[in-house]
This record gives sequence, structure tokens and C-alpha cells, in this order.
Amino acid sequence: MANFFPRWSNWLPLKIAVCMAVLGGTVTAGVWYYFTPKYTRVGYQPVQPVPFSHDIHVAQLGMDCRYCHSFVEVAAHSNVPNTQVCMNCHSQVQKENPKLQAVRDSWVTGKPVEWVQIHKTPDYVYFNHSVHVNRGVSCVSCHGPVNHMPVVYHSKPHSMSWCLDCHRAPENALRPPEQVFNLDWQPPAGQTQQEIGLKLKHDWKVMPPVESCAGCHR
Amino acid sequence: MKKIFQHPAEPLTGKKYWRSLDQLADTPQFREWLQREFPAGADELNAGGVNRRDFLKLMGASTALAGLSLSACRRAEKHLVPFTKSVEWAIPGKPLFYATSMPHRRGAQPLVVTTHDGRPTKIEGNPSHPSSGGATGTFAQSSLLDMYDPDRSRFFLNRGQKSDAAKFDAYLESLTAEFGKNEGVGLAILAEENNSPTRERLRAELGKKFPQALWAVYDPLGSDNVALASKAAFGDGVKVTPKIEKADVILALDSDFLSFEEGSVETVRAFSSRRRVEKPGDVMNRLYVVENRYTVTGGMADHRLRLPASQVGMFALALAKQLGLDSSLLVPLKVSIGSENTSVKFDARWIEEAAKDLQSAGGKSLVLVGARQPAAVHLVVNAINAALGNLGETLIGSEVEVKPSADIEDLAVAIQNKKVSTLVVLGGNPVYNAPADLDWAALQQSVPSVVRLGFYEDESSARALWHVPAAHYLESWSDGRATDGSYVSMQPMILPLYGGWSGLDVLARLLGMPKPQGPELVQETFRQIAKPSNFDSEWNKFLHDGFLEKSALPARTLSFDATAAASFVSGNSILRRMLHRNTQVPTDAVELVFAGDTKVDDGRYANNGWLQELPDPITKLTWDNAALVSTATAKALGIEVKDQIGRQDFDVLEISLDGKRKIELPVLIAPGHADDSITLPLGYGRVFGGRVATGAGVNVYPLRTTLQSYFAVTSRRKVRLTGKTHRLAITQDHHSMEGRALVREATLETFNEEPSFAKTMWMDAEIKRDANGNSHSASLYSHPPLDAPNQWGMTVDLNTCTGCNACVVACQSENNIPIVGKEQVVNGRVMHWIRNDRYFASTDEHDPDPEMVMQPMMCQHCENAPCETVCPVNATVHSDDGLNVMAYNRCIGTRYCANNCPFKVRRFNWFDFQQRPLDNLKLGPLTEKGSPDTLKMQKNPNVTVRMRGVMEKCTFCVQRIEEAKIAQKVKVGASDDVRVAADAFKVACQQACPAEAIVFGDISNPESKVSKLKAQEKNYRLLEYLGVNTRVSYLARLRNPNPKMPDAQKVAAFQNEHAHGEHAKPQHAGGKE
Repeated sequence: MANFFPRWSNWLPLKIAVCMAVLGGTVTAGVWYYFTPKYTRVGYQPVQPVPFSHDIHVAQLGMDCRYCHSFVEVAAHSNVPNTQVCMNCHSQVQKENPKLQAVRDSWVTGKPVEWVQIHKTPDYVYFNHSVHVNRGVSCVSCHGPVNHMPVVYHSKPHSMSWCLDCHRAPENALRPPEQVFNLDWQPPAGQTQQEIGLKLKHDWKVMPPVESCAGCHR
Repeated sequence: MKKIFQHPAEPLTGKKYWRSLDQLADTPQFREWLQREFPAGADELNAGGVNRRDFLKLMGASTALAGLSLSACRRAEKHLVPFTKSVEWAIPGKPLFYATSMPHRRGAQPLVVTTHDGRPTKIEGNPSHPSSGGATGTFAQSSLLDMYDPDRSRFFLNRGQKSDAAKFDAYLESLTAEFGKNEGVGLAILAEENNSPTRERLRAELGKKFPQALWAVYDPLGSDNVALASKAAFGDGVKVTPKIEKADVILALDSDFLSFEEGSVETVRAFSSRRRVEKPGDVMNRLYVVENRYTVTGGMADHRLRLPASQVGMFALALAKQLGLDSSLLVPLKVSIGSENTSVKFDARWIEEAAKDLQSAGGKSLVLVGARQPAAVHLVVNAINAALGNLGETLIGSEVEVKPSADIEDLAVAIQNKKVSTLVVLGGNPVYNAPADLDWAALQQSVPSVVRLGFYEDESSARALWHVPAAHYLESWSDGRATDGSYVSMQPMILPLYGGWSGLDVLARLLGMPKPQGPELVQETFRQIAKPSNFDSEWNKFLHDGFLEKSALPARTLSFDATAAASFVSGNSILRRMLHRNTQVPTDAVELVFAGDTKVDDGRYANNGWLQELPDPITKLTWDNAALVSTATAKALGIEVKDQIGRQDFDVLEISLDGKRKIELPVLIAPGHADDSITLPLGYGRVFGGRVATGAGVNVYPLRTTLQSYFAVTSRRKVRLTGKTHRLAITQDHHSMEGRALVREATLETFNEEPSFAKTMWMDAEIKRDANGNSHSASLYSHPPLDAPNQWGMTVDLNTCTGCNACVVACQSENNIPIVGKEQVVNGRVMHWIRNDRYFASTDEHDPDPEMVMQPMMCQHCENAPCETVCPVNATVHSDDGLNVMAYNRCIGTRYCANNCPFKVRRFNWFDFQQRPLDNLKLGPLTEKGSPDTLKMQKNPNVTVRMRGVMEKCTFCVQRIEEAKIAQKVKVGASDDVRVAADAFKVACQQACPAEAIVFGDISNPESKVSKLKAQEKNYRLLEYLGVNTRVSYLARLRNPNPKMPDAQKVAAFQNEHAHGEHAKPQHAGGKE
């Protein structure tokens, strides 16, 4: 029988295999890196309908988080302020500021301001703000230094492994209850976050769900 | 090597528990059915028209499309939309709770409704109201879905053409003006039975404004007979209410007082309060039941006599005679009930001993009779109760607020005599459910103008001048009287979705008042009833509580005057309802019994998917009705039991009373049914086009006439097999148990002698226990430590559970469980997380009188769970508080867990039930998806809506557990008291259960209810000998037979065979290598 295939074709399967492996590896590595929340979410900074600056309101004017996010201590959902809350002050101050036109329009028309959502958990995750802020987890642990953000951006990945990092070692985030809304709080001199956290974890019996899926997935 | 566990064989003698005739016969088909993980067909791709080639094509196309769309992959921009102005009470993400009530023909049911962002999402009983205690029934639970029904009537129709509210309003104004001139001559109103004081007030005003107008009330399952008999016995305007909780001995004559159609949450609560036996020496009531078919009440009976419904009157007379009542009253009644020559089919000793037992209770007995039995029977029973000294003890009287009114026959006569020019039909559906001899469709057509307020554009709307969309009770203001007579509020949770009007709106406009914008009509009634000194605060309290305290109607002393009753009977011109006699009883007689359905009632819930798919408590039939007959009657009709084995297609019976009145419907053999009796459930065979109701069952109203509204006796020759078959979706064999002693019962006597009988039955006698009675089994697997502060567990009391199914619907409503449609139920894909296993029990397989027991079955939350060890992706794991949890987003749908579950409680989403309409389930991935928006509005936002390919099962309402834990942590904040207090919350099935049979709580807390119940000696766990360590346990069923009764030995058979006998020990045990 004659040779149907030339000699060089003997190496072809190996070459194809190597190419496929390299290609496959590249795609896998790409997806691994680029499709993770660390890449897709962190840094997301959409343009909001009102250029609200947390930096001005919190860091400069000293307002408390809870003035606007008023139900964060009682509800699962941390509410976004309604137009009425904005107008509490802005019917007096900055009355003519063009940046606030959308808020004034909303107040007149009754049509709400449509803020662009930045932090979003999947539908099958039931996150509860109230239990975190009442048990010594500060806003900054998940949202980053919002008080210094002129425009809010996504600061932490909010992936499941990121959640679990903290649930496995809550001592890295726990702080005294009166410092929860003080985003600039640092452990007092002579103490480390670890020491404070471990004490609070023990005193308050902090046992966040780690392997109990139902803690977050219902 | 694989270890195969050999379960012990069933004992050869003794009482057997079986679910179906198939199982009892133990056919090869049945065995094969059992061996499968899911019933036959459940795991086959039997999609019509989609073969592998098409499937691959579609997959290819969708992959290509996915590639295209990926290139344009962008983060979807989502918006947060706060309110403009703050809404009172509203906290985003938190539900609000409002008290209201649901109207029902025998009394409004007090409710608390959960609303999320203004959408009612869950209905519960009002825990502060004494007659509800927080419990509900199947109808109240599922009425929520009715509100969101996409088939609801949305438009005002004038002669079938779209119109609008303003035009209708103008029409009503013209009616008011027209009838204002002639005092209402020609005006007739046909309303449903309802006890709303506001409606009654408006009716009185209507009577003043239009004195000539006719007000008629019709309800196909109404209580006219009760009212008539009570008038004859006790005088005008008296309502008699049984105090079941006070009765030691109860005899129910064709009275299904433990169901929601005839009874109420209150009657079940009262009954079960006397069934809770905690320790030896405790007493419980005794229930005798005489009925033609098994009902949930019959299932609770200690002694049950099956008797055709038409013979119940005879039984009552025989009982009266036995009790020595032979006054002048009984003579005329004998004539009306039937001649004494009618062949009596009951055991004289049964009556004798039952009568003695009733007498010995000394005023603590109670005889109840079904509402639709003829008034004459009610009168005999009133006499019996009087003779037993029950008046004022177990039966109390109160005043009636609702004045008597004309009935549909009076109205029909008026229409025939051309005395009605305008008919206003407020709710109801007379064209569908009026007695057939009235020919209501033609009558209604002959009225020049008909205004019809209806929830659907249905049979009655088709012939109306005006059709008005009705508002749901969750959308309207009204009020009512609960079964205990207390004044309850009804307030809207949401504005009418489709601009519907309530009955009160129509009446108010007819009276010339402005259309109510809010509660003003009810407020006026409230002023009259409550006489408030400070209106605003008392009104707000009324709305907040949902009822007015101490508002029950004044009591009336009951005294039975036999002579007056006798003269009433002989002198009453409306004796036609007293008499329920057939002038000619054929020798080959068979009776037809028209029963209100346990699911669709009189047909009003026919378009409710939750109810249509709910298995009937007894027959386990879904999506259909069927004629129920006994084995003997079936044989007489030409149906052999052995031919029924393994069938899904059932013989169709033709019942033809005369040429016009003819129906065809499938026939089912119902164990425990009376011979020569055919039960026909009402309410099916709707033709109005509702997507759920259409095609479900057969309409049997054409056989029902004014004189024969409950049962008709006819010749057997008029009933014959057609040779056709009809497929029925019955769930009874799904998930069967192979007789592994899952239900355990004994007599009260046995329990007193051997309280821990349930722990030592069958294989469980071999279990080694510690001093506390706990068993400890080794496991080869490592388990997470159960070290959370709370450990969740549940008990189910089989002694109080009636099997009413309230828990099933409550679970469906709470946990976003989809319906799957008839075809998928046939395939065994029903999704209910909790099911009620109904077992019949008999020592002899040919015994026509089996006993019946119910067992609710849900995920048992095994600590040593077989499902967890086989999941390849860890989608089902154990939590530290003892829950067997499902992570839907991890599940890849291997179904290994369901395969390995010994209780068969896992449910798989074979299709996108949540996203697709039922007739569109199997279409390819590119076809249009979507369910109606209103159905999405009903979903509980705290529970994931599962998608296709995901396993699910009872979670112990983990959303409620987590909410309770979070609430506790939020409350204590910076301290360590994180343990949820005992009984701080209830799970959905527990909350709904009117018998309080299901109790959930923290088993690590000795103060919790569930811990106390688990400490009882009759507490047992399922398959304990397997070492699965279930967290759910059952309290064994107890029966309280009267040892003197002829069937006492049979009732006690269980004890003789199992609890003491040799069969308690297994013949062989353990595994084989």
C-alpha cells in the first residue's frame, strides 16, 4: 500500500495538540482573570444623574451615613435617600445650583431620581445590612472609603470568596459599635485590629455563616 | 463492597397500610413503579415533536447567538429608584402586615396579610382573633393567587362590547332614577351568601328606598336548610353554634365539619384541642361519623359507618327512636324523610351503643349534621340534641343579623311571571351553578336588563347587559362577622388591579349615594355597631386589630319546643325544602351525591392553579373531578377492581337522568365509600376560558335540581359505562413507602398501658437507646458540628392532623412553588414540598370499611442525610443549626440526591415552570418565555425563584429562620445573647395548620414547644433503625374506640397484632454483604 500521508504529517497531531493546549490555556487564563469580579467590578464608576459628592457631605460637612441611608440599621436593604431627604437641606442651601436641577425637577414632578446602581448582589444572595452594621462591621469594610469619594466607585470585588474571607476571619473587620459609621477609624495606638476583633468576636459570639449555605442563599 | 440494606418484610397478618388499590394488590406494575426514582415518565424526554436532531440544531443556533452577543457584552445599567416622598410606615425591603378578613358563606375568616412594597404576598390567620388563632385553610391561603389571576375580568362590558366605568355609572344613575319613581317594581338583586353588616345595612336601605324590589340570595352550597330547621326548632332569628371543644362524644351525620367547605378553622381548632393526649391517663373526645364517602372528618373518626347520604335521615330517626324520642314531632318527619320500609342498611347495635355513649356523656355530647341534608333531618337532630341535654352546653344560640331573604326559586318564579325588568347579580355564577330545573340561562336571558358583577367574564356574564369587573376582597373595603359572631374588618391591601368594583360599590350607587372612595360605608356601620366615643382612635384600633372586641352578637337561650316544631312542620308552606323525598324510589336504586369540592368549592376557585393542582385529601386527584363509588358498586356497574390496577386512564361513566340532564365523567373506586352511592364533586367543567379552569373536570350541575340539591336517588339503569376512558392525574402512588411502618397508631387503651409503643415497633424494637430514649448511630461520614445556638426541629401530631392540605398551599405560597399542570402531574413531577400521605388500613384486603390515616411528609432534615453524601457538587449540605440546606446556584441537576432520599421528598424542576406558561413548557430555548406580570408580583421576594434543572425541597422555611436569627442579632447588637428565643416565629405550614399539628422550633431549648412534644413518649422518628437521625418526628396516632361497639375489635386490631405481638420483632434484620 502506498503512503497516503507525507512524512511531515507524522508530527501534525503533536503540533495540533500543543497549539490547542496553548490556546486553551490562554483562554482559560484570560477568563480566570478577566471574568472575575475583581476585574469586572472593582473600579466601576458610572455617571450619576446628580453629581453627588460623598466627599463634600461626609468628609467636609460631617454628615452621618444614616442621615440619608436611614434604614441601614433596621432593614436588609440600605435605602437610597428619596428626593424629600435631599430637599430637606437643598430647599435652603444651594437652591440655585444647576447640578441639583435633577433633584428639583424630581421634587416638582414627583418622578424619582434614577440613581445608577453600583453594588449589586446576585438574585440568589440575600445580604442583610442591618445585621452587619449592628454587629460591628463598618461600611468601609465592603464599600471602601466612600466618605472620601467625590464620585462613588466599586471598591471591593464583592465576590463570594471575598465574602467568605471575612466570614472565616471576622476579627479582621470587627470594630466597636460606636465606630461603625466612622469610616476613618483606626485601631487606637498600642492595639491591633486583630486584638480588638478577636475580643469582640468572643464577647459577642460572632459566628457568621461559613459552610451553612442558607445563611446567604435561601 | 456495596451494602444493601434489607428492610424487614411486612408481617403476613395484622393491619396493612396501603395507599391505593394497586398497592394492596401488589401487582408487578406497582412494584416497578415503586422501584423507580421518579414515577414512570418523569425522567424521559417525551417532548412532542422535538427529536435529537432538532435539539442539536437549536443548541447550535443558540451557541452561535451567544457568541454574537458576547462581543457586545456590557454591564447592564441598573437603577435604584427611591420614592420621591417618604411613604408612611414603608421601609424599603421590609414587609408590612395588615389585618383583614376573607368573606365566606359561613362567616368571615380573620386574616393578616403580608405586603411587600404594596403587593400582598402571603396570607395568614389573625393570631389575635380567638376563632382563628393565626391559622388558615386552603381557600384563604390560595385566595391570594386569585387576586393576581391574569384571567380576571379587566373591562366593563356592555352587551359584550368594551365600555368603561363612567358609562356604567351613568347607567346605574338612570336605574336609581327609574326605580325611585315606582318604589322599585321590577328590580331584583341576586347576591351570594355573605354576612357583612355593611351589606346588610345597605340592603335595609335598599328595602326602604325600593320597597317592591326583590332581594334574593343564592349559594349552591348554602345553609338554607340549617336556618329553616333552626327556625322550626328554636324560633326566628337564631343561629346555633356548636361548641365542639366542650363535647366529649361527637356524632357527625354526613357532616364534614373538619373541612373548610363545611366547617371552618374554628371547628378544626376546637376539635383538635380535645385530641391532644400528652401522657397516659389523659382523656380525649370520641368521634362517631356516619357518611357516604371518606372525608377528612371520617378519617378522624373513632367509629365510622358508611351509609348512603339519602339514608342519613333514616339513621337520625332510628337514633331518635333509640333515645326514646317519639313525640308528635317525629311522625310528620318520618313522612318527609322517607318511609320506614326503605331497606335500612345500618347495624342496629351500632346505633344502640352509640346512643348509649351519647347519653352517658350527659350534656357533653354533640350531634352534628351536614348543612345540605334536608331541613327535616336537621330538625330531628335538633330534637336529639335537646333530648341529650346539649342545648346551652355544647350548642349555644345567638342572634342573627342577616334578615331572611328570598331564594333563587322565588326569583325564578318572579322572572317567569315577568315581574323582573332589571336583575343585578352581585357575584356568584348562577348560569353555571343554579339548579338545572330552573334553566337559569334562559331565565336570565328573558330579563330585559341584567347587571352582572363578576370576577371573571364567565358563563353568567355572557348573557348580561352589563358586565362589571369585581374587585377582589384584598382590593376592597368591607366588613363581616367571623364564625364566632365577632365584627371583623376588611380593608384593601392594594388598589383594584383592573379598576374593579365591589358589591358595596354597586349597591351604594344603586341607592343614589356617591361611589365610595374609601371606607366611608364601613365607617358608618362601625359607628352603629361600636358606638365609639372617640371615633378616630377606635376605628384605627379596629383596622389595626382586624376585629372589634366583645362584639359577638347577643346570646339567645335555646329551648326546643317539640309541639311548636311539629306544628311548624305540618303548617309550613315551604315544606318543599323540608321534604327531600323521592316519590318513587326504584328497587335498583343508586343515589347521586352532589358534594362541594375540597379544592374548587362550588366552582369559584376553578381558575386557581394552586387549588387545581392540590391533591384532593382523600382521592389524591388533581386537575379533575371523578365519580366516586365503592368496590361493590363499581362491580355492579361492570368495573372490576383488578382491571383498575396500574391505570392512568379510567373508565368514563354516563349518568343520564333524562335526555337533557346527562353527563359523562370518569369513575374512581374510593375505598370506604358507601354502596349504591355515587359522589359527584361540584365545581368543575368550566367553559369560560380561564387558562387553568378550562379542561379540568366535568360539570355535574346539570344533574342537580332544586328538590335534589344534595342527593338524588335514581335507578341504576341510568348509570352506565360508556367504554371511553379519561386520563386522571392522581398523586397517591407517587413517592410510596412500601409499608415500612411510617404511620404508627394505637388505641388510647394501648397507649395507657404501653405509652412508648411507637418507639418500639417493627425494627425500632432493636434500637439501643440511652436513658433519655435517644438512639445513637455511627456514621462513616464526617459531619459538620451541630454547634449553633439554635437547633431546629419539628414534630407532627398525627392525632390532630386531619390531612386538610392547608399546609401544602401555605408552603406553596410562602416558598414560590410552581404548579406544573395536569400532564406533568401524571408524569409524577408535582412540586409540592410537603405532601399529605393518605393511608388506608385494613386487616382484610376485601374489607369495604378500611380505616384512614394521614401523614404529612416533608424533608425530614436527617442529621445523617443520605442525599448529602451523594451530591457531587456539594449543593446540598448540612448547616450548623441542623438544616439540610440546598444551594440552588450550585445544583447541576444530577438528581442523585432524590434517588438516595428514603422519604422521596426532593423535587426536581424538569421544566422552567416559573418562566413559561404550562402549555409552552417543552418548546425550545429560543421561543418566547415569560409568565404574566401579575403572577410575578405574588412571589415571595425572600425566596429564590428556582429555574429549570435545579433540585429543591423543604427548607424548614429557612428565610424565616434567618430573619429570626438576624432580628435577634440586630436586637442584641454588641452582646452575646444571639440565641433566638423559644417559639419566636413559626414556619409557613405550622402557621397555617388549624389543628396545630405541626410544631417547629428549637430542639436545643427545653422551653420550646417542640422540645416538650419530642419528650412525649409517643414521639417517634421515621426509619430510625436506619440511623438517618431525622429532625422531624411524629406523635403517634391514637384512636379512642368505644369497647362496646360492634366494630371496636377491628379498630383495636392494630394493637393486638403489632404493639404486643410477636410481629413487633422483625423476622430478619441488618445488611448483607
